[in-house]
Amino acid sequence: MMDFGFSLSKSSTMDLGKVDDLRFEQLCRLEPGAGICIGCGSCSASCPAGRLSGMSVRKVLLALQRGRSAGEMLQCCMLCGKCTMVCPRGINTRNLILSICKIYD
Amino acid sequence: MTERFATGFHPFVLPFLAGMAFVLAVCAVKAAVVVGQLDKADRKKWLLSLIHPNLIIKNAVDIVLDCLIHVKLWKRNRILGLMHSSIAFGWFMIILLGHLEVLVYFPGKLATFYYPIFFDYFVEGGQHTVISKAMDAFLLLVIAGIALAVVKRFWSRLFGMKRTARPTLFNLLGLYSLWAIFPLRLVAEQCARAGNLTVAPWWAYSIALCTFMAVLPFTRYLHIPAEMLLITMRNAGVGITRPHKGMARVQADSCPNCGVCIDACPMNADTANLKNSTVYLTRQLRRGNEPRVREISDKCMLCGKCTSVCQVGVDGPKLRILARAARKYRITPDFSRISSDGYDTYWASGKILYFSGCMSQLTPNIGRSVESILRKSGVRYEWMDRDGGLCCGRPLHTAGRLKEAAALRKKNEEIIRKSGAHTLLVSCPICYREFSESYDLGSTKVAFYSEYFRKMMDKGLFTLEKGDTCYVYHDPCELGRGCGIYDSPRALIGKAAAIAEAPKNRAESVCCGGSLGSLSLDFEHREKITRASLENLYASKADAIATACPLCLATFARYADRPVKDLAQIIDEQIIM
Amino acid sequence: MNGNIVIIGGGIAGMEAAKALLALGHTPILVEASKELGGHVASWHKLFPDMSSAKDIIDRLRADVRGANAFLGTKVISFNRLADGYSLKLSNGIVVNASAVLVSTGFRLFDATRKEEYGYGVYDHVITNSDLEAWFSGKEDPRVPENVGTVGFVHCVGSRDLKACNGQCSKVCCATAIKQAIEIKERFPYAKVYCFYMDLRLFGKKYEDFYVNAQRDYGIQFIRGRVSEVGETIDGGLQVKAEDTLSGKPLKVRLDLLVLMSGIVRNDSIRELSEMAGLETDSDGFLRSVDNEYSVVESNRPGIFFAGSCTGPKTVPETIAEARSAALSIHTYLSGE
Repeated sequence: MMDFGFSLSKSSTMDLGKVDDLRFEQLCRLEPGAGICIGCGSCSASCPAGRLSGMSVRKVLLALQRGRSAGEMLQCCMLCGKCTMVCPRGINTRNLILSICKIYD
Repeated sequence: MTERFATGFHPFVLPFLAGMAFVLAVCAVKAAVVVGQLDKADRKKWLLSLIHPNLIIKNAVDIVLDCLIHVKLWKRNRILGLMHSSIAFGWFMIILLGHLEVLVYFPGKLATFYYPIFFDYFVEGGQHTVISKAMDAFLLLVIAGIALAVVKRFWSRLFGMKRTARPTLFNLLGLYSLWAIFPLRLVAEQCARAGNLTVAPWWAYSIALCTFMAVLPFTRYLHIPAEMLLITMRNAGVGITRPHKGMARVQADSCPNCGVCIDACPMNADTANLKNSTVYLTRQLRRGNEPRVREISDKCMLCGKCTSVCQVGVDGPKLRILARAARKYRITPDFSRISSDGYDTYWASGKILYFSGCMSQLTPNIGRSVESILRKSGVRYEWMDRDGGLCCGRPLHTAGRLKEAAALRKKNEEIIRKSGAHTLLVSCPICYREFSESYDLGSTKVAFYSEYFRKMMDKGLFTLEKGDTCYVYHDPCELGRGCGIYDSPRALIGKAAAIAEAPKNRAESVCCGGSLGSLSLDFEHREKITRASLENLYASKADAIATACPLCLATFARYADRPVKDLAQIIDEQIIM
Repeated sequence: MNGNIVIIGGGIAGMEAAKALLALGHTPILVEASKELGGHVASWHKLFPDMSSAKDIIDRLRADVRGANAFLGTKVISFNRLADGYSLKLSNGIVVNASAVLVSTGFRLFDATRKEEYGYGVYDHVITNSDLEAWFSGKEDPRVPENVGTVGFVHCVGSRDLKACNGQCSKVCCATAIKQAIEIKERFPYAKVYCFYMDLRLFGKKYEDFYVNAQRDYGIQFIRGRVSEVGETIDGGLQVKAEDTLSGKPLKVRLDLLVLMSGIVRNDSIRELSEMAGLETDSDGFLRSVDNEYSVVESNRPGIFFAGSCTGPKTVPETIAEARSAALSIHTYLSGE
């Protein structure tokens, strides 16, 4: 390769056309609530693990929806259920988290 | 009394003998397999228990009371108890006395195995002895029991059962052959005694016995031998450690499919959950139907009511937790990133350390009332998780993530041990159960707030003024059935207010529907369960609902038509300064 | 057919409809459960977006409906179908035969104690939108400190929240929060004011200007994150936890006063009324119109009409417009027969 003295940085734009939806659809089958999040952040705000590790169910779900991985963030989840209690949309976040842990790396 | 035939044999005994040999062989193999599946220490414990004199007596007494007399069933439902003990005890006595009869009069024939069963065919004039008369009485008792069984099979509501388990084909075959055995025996015996030695009824009797024994290992009737094994294992202290094997398998096999758990299950307020009762879990466990086992296990709220009503003591929640534990996840928790430092500032040496738990962050009344009570009583305390803390580990534990739960417990243990507190005061039953069952906190004692406050009240640290409100106390699952605490909350409320009881209370309490035990039950489907639980409380005609669990509190408050308060709040409101 | 018209509920919907019916030559009978006409608006201080005085509107309406028969402190206790109308028995013993009935029973504000995590009734400085309006109108409230340094407004308390048994948007709270935040800033110019929202729904005429105004002229900060729990600090202040979803970080802030925007939920009397009169309720719990596009003021029963928030959350101008529309529908209905 010729060195022109500069390099091209990878585009930081998300191309939704290239997002693989299949795994997210599988997630929606395991937990239908995955599709109805309004991103209010209640789950993250009340999360005891989030306070200590920065974990956020909202962020994980959004990332997965956009075809990015974020599974390692769930490693600190204690399954305490507070997020399920506060979710205004009634999403079963515990089942959501366990389902993500099953099908994503 | 004389023997009719020198040979003492007729081919009609062959079906019986074949069935008998088959069932004994299968049971022996099954027993050997499950014993082989036990953990080494458990196996040793069990084998030793079989020669321990006290345990031998205990086993014998338990087997007679549970398997023959069905004492627990009597307590639950008298007519079902009558039916089961007539059949089981009656049959047992017929077998016992039959052998005694042969032993007394023809001891040489005892080794034939079939002589006691077909006695009247082979022996003439045997019906006049006391033993024979007693056997006739027991046969009539069994037949009366069978008559009840027939009624129950078709009109179970007459027996107070709204729903019963749906029988499988094999179960039906077993059932009808069992029903046939005793009337056929009666007919055959009466014919023989009247001098009519036609072999047809004897053939039918033998074939019915053979059919019953041949299908037994594949039907719910396996519970008859399995329960005996279960009793010995339970008395030996063997626990469930593997999801489908060892003690879990014995429990699954011991389920008589009576279906008592179906009516008891709070989830069945929504009929969509009928198929998720414990009776179906044991059935699917036996069949090895993994997808259904998973589904049933994940749905359950682990309230423990099925176990509290179960006649043989099948531990539904434990079986499910282990089934969940067998699940494979690609992402596994790693709590090493969560630090347990930051807490060592809590200088609670010589004081109470109060742990309110995650859920109580959402029900601030509880923590504030607990603080207020402690302050008013002059008790020194520190609040460990005032600004939030680590989870106790119970939710991970019930989700079957056992290793991870242990890791989390370790973090909490470090914090609590470091604090030097003499008592860990807990106001959440979910946390309390985990702390008292699975933690090792060294010299720090764990106390649930109702127990501790009651002691404080008895010591005179605070006095309560009786108010006008009438409360009905809801027993939280983890506290009542989980930890056996029923009286202290009632004692405290009784001093602070009038108290009423719901029709289903204490060990029969109906889960609020908010349980963290369920993994897959979604919000939408919990409402019916909560409303059914509230109806039970409303029936007490109380003005307000009291409970001692943040989760029950938040769940009830969502739909209740009257105030819902935590125990601590009620006490705090009625303390006289 | 006697031409009697009974209006159930004497809030702005009922009063405006009565006024319009009077103008059309009818003499309606107003039945109001409380001791005076005016409903929720009577207890409000100012209205968005023009900050006009609620009292002025109520005073004008009260004067305008003087010609109608009004039964105050009265409820409908039974409702019977007649051949050409309805027979209503009132709690004061009077029986009225009506050819047409207008239901304008309005709404109820969500009981904020049901969201225990927000600490209403638990902590000293948590109030609701209606408490704040009363305070604006001059009512003493020990929960409002003398000097307010930081104030938080929580949007969507009991709205868009299945856990509060109300999944619907209450429509008016976003604008109300902005209005109240501005009023707070007018009284405490140095206060820091935060609005915690999930989505800002500022759909009405000039509402967006109102929003810009709040940001630019009053420095009110809008934080996109729903408050999940409220704690108390040692000095008696409040600690609010939310996620600042736009920066993706958990956030906490110490406040002197927290205002909960209690949402609009159906009035409890709707259930009794719907049972007595055979009216249908919609999946949101409010009364069901024939449809939600063209015939909002018409019920499933002939001669029974709706106006205002008995069919769902409405703004003041929407309610007024609906009341006039219902009055005209009743007039047409009565002249058609």
